[in-house]
Amino acid sequence: MSLAEAMKSYRLKSGRLPDLWRTICPPHLLIACLCLLPVALRGQENRPTETQVEAAYLFNFGKFVRWPANSASNSEYLVICVLGNNMLGMVLEGTVKGETIDNRTVVAKALPNLQATANCNVMFVNASEEAHLDAILSAVRHQGILTVSDIPHFTDRGGMIEFVHQQDRIRFKVNLLPMADVGISVSSELLKVATKVIGQSGGAK
Amino acid sequence: MPLPPRRSILRKLTLLNMLVSGAALTLACLAFFTYDQVTFRESLVHTLSAQAEIIGSNSVSAILFNDPQSATNTLSALKSSHSITAAGIFTLDRKPFATYTREGSDAIVNLPAIPDGQVETHRFGSAHLVLVRLIVFHGRPVGFVYIRADLSQIDERLKRYASIALGVLLISLIAALLVSYLFGRSVAQPILDLANVAAGISQNKNYSARATPGKDADEVGQLVTAFNEMLTEIQQRDVELRKAHDELEDRVTQRTRELLFANRELEAFSYSVSHDLRGPIDALNGFTYVLSKEYGDKLDKKARDLIEHIRGSGKRMMQLIDDLLNLSRVTSSQLQAEPVDLSSMAFSIAEDLRQGQPSRQVEFVISQVEKVNGDARLLRLLLDNLLRNAWKYTSAHQHATIEFGSLVENGRVIYFVRDDGAGFDPRSTDRLFQPFQRLHPTAEFPGNGIGLATAQRIVRRHGGDIWAKGEVEKGATFYFSLAAPRSRGSVAPANDAEQTAL
Repeated sequence: MSLAEAMKSYRLKSGRLPDLWRTICPPHLLIACLCLLPVALRGQENRPTETQVEAAYLFNFGKFVRWPANSASNSEYLVICVLGNNMLGMVLEGTVKGETIDNRTVVAKALPNLQATANCNVMFVNASEEAHLDAILSAVRHQGILTVSDIPHFTDRGGMIEFVHQQDRIRFKVNLLPMADVGISVSSELLKVATKVIGQSGGAK
Repeated sequence: MPLPPRRSILRKLTLLNMLVSGAALTLACLAFFTYDQVTFRESLVHTLSAQAEIIGSNSVSAILFNDPQSATNTLSALKSSHSITAAGIFTLDRKPFATYTREGSDAIVNLPAIPDGQVETHRFGSAHLVLVRLIVFHGRPVGFVYIRADLSQIDERLKRYASIALGVLLISLIAALLVSYLFGRSVAQPILDLANVAAGISQNKNYSARATPGKDADEVGQLVTAFNEMLTEIQQRDVELRKAHDELEDRVTQRTRELLFANRELEAFSYSVSHDLRGPIDALNGFTYVLSKEYGDKLDKKARDLIEHIRGSGKRMMQLIDDLLNLSRVTSSQLQAEPVDLSSMAFSIAEDLRQGQPSRQVEFVISQVEKVNGDARLLRLLLDNLLRNAWKYTSAHQHATIEFGSLVENGRVIYFVRDDGAGFDPRSTDRLFQPFQRLHPTAEFPGNGIGLATAQRIVRRHGGDIWAKGEVEKGATFYFSLAAPRSRGSVAPANDAEQTAL
């Protein structure tokens, strides 16, 4: 017999619960707690993985960023490229499937090499590419691509958005200076939730 | 300002005025309240909705990039709006993402569901307005905003309105009172004047009074005019009536004078006739007396009897003439008033009667009555007539009782002469006092029917009344009063009633 059933039979017997008990723990709250218990226990496995969160962030950045008029932004696709780490690329494909931002179909694309960056709007650089980072950044420097990476100090090295792990959560830093160079503008809403903003006129957050 | 009297039309007008303005104002206030409540609630919802939208759009990045702190910061901006007691950002799976609760307010208990196909819903509770809005970003739902506003400001607003309305009502009632006091007079004053004049007329019967016509030719003015015309009409009729009455009075006076004159002439005539008749009868009586004395022995018995008959008739004729002379003397002679002792008068008459017929057994019961003011000669004649009457009509009885006394009725002294003799038929009462009317045949009780007529005249000359009660063979009682009753109006009809009852 579950506790809820026990309560129910108790109610049937006594007619009504003592007022104090009801005040401290109303029956419907108790039942709700009991119902939620299995969900909470399962939370560990059901919780989005780090990769999933990163994929969602990559997709959501597109909603807060404006690309310069001459870039690939005018096409009917918004292309998110992933350099290295096929795992993220695969997850991202699932995330963006059927999604549009400003009437542009969002597409995920795994980059085999740096030559294929022409159509990219967003490029994620996997930590595995840390060794070639400077080369990668200089290669895409003038292509108007929003560069994102989870490589530590990515923004200090000229990257635009850097994922940081903070208290079990994934957050990000923003470096406005390279964005300004290529004409990418970012919504203040995005800056609001960034842990650090470099090159903001009002001062770093 | 003094209030008009309770039943005055002015008071009614004032009351009406105040009632109307009070009712109108109350209704207007109620309508305004209702309208204000509705619009205020609507505007409250609009305001909350706008706030929810702003908060929602400011929280999009926080939700998308999982930054509850940012959302909490956004929510904390609500501190500045005092009516909002709680707010929250909820994720799509209805879990709280960030919440804000004003100090001293309850936490958010549950998130109301938004109906399908809608972006927003609100719910008015007894003390709160709860609004939930879906946050949509780039065409996709992102989360929910929950805002709860305290409705106590509505109550406060209502209280403020109520106090204002009460004040306005009070002021307008005072204004209505003032207005009806100032302008009501112009309407009611002519009516009040009219009422006063009418009351004055019905009290003083002064039909020469007139109501003052108002300045306006309204219905009241017409009423006043009609009233005044009616008064004029009444006055005219009064004058005519008085004229007719005076004419009638004059005519009556003249007729009475004529009648009196004719009556006096008639009485003078009958007096002189009676007087002149005495001479021949005297001669007749004298000569028959001489005839019976001188030639009695030369005549046979039959002739002597005839002569005696002639003498008897002559004596009766003489008596009749004397009575007639008395009767006319009663009306023509001057009254000489002096205190008269009726009891001793009755006593001496009774003695006379006894000596006249000593063989009869009659008991006289004579009470002492107070002296009365009157003409002694006439009053003696009156008592003589009544007692002689009683004496005569008891003659058929072996024993008889004759009473004289007085009684007081309605403050008036009434004398009576009572006998237990032949009495009379009560139906013939009205004929008793008419001259020459007799209720009994002369053979039974001799008489000429003038005595009671004389008695009545004597009583009337003294301003009194005479009446009788009686039944056949059960005696008769004659009542008379001398002075007129103190108040003519109250006793005279009672007397009439008594007489008709006889």
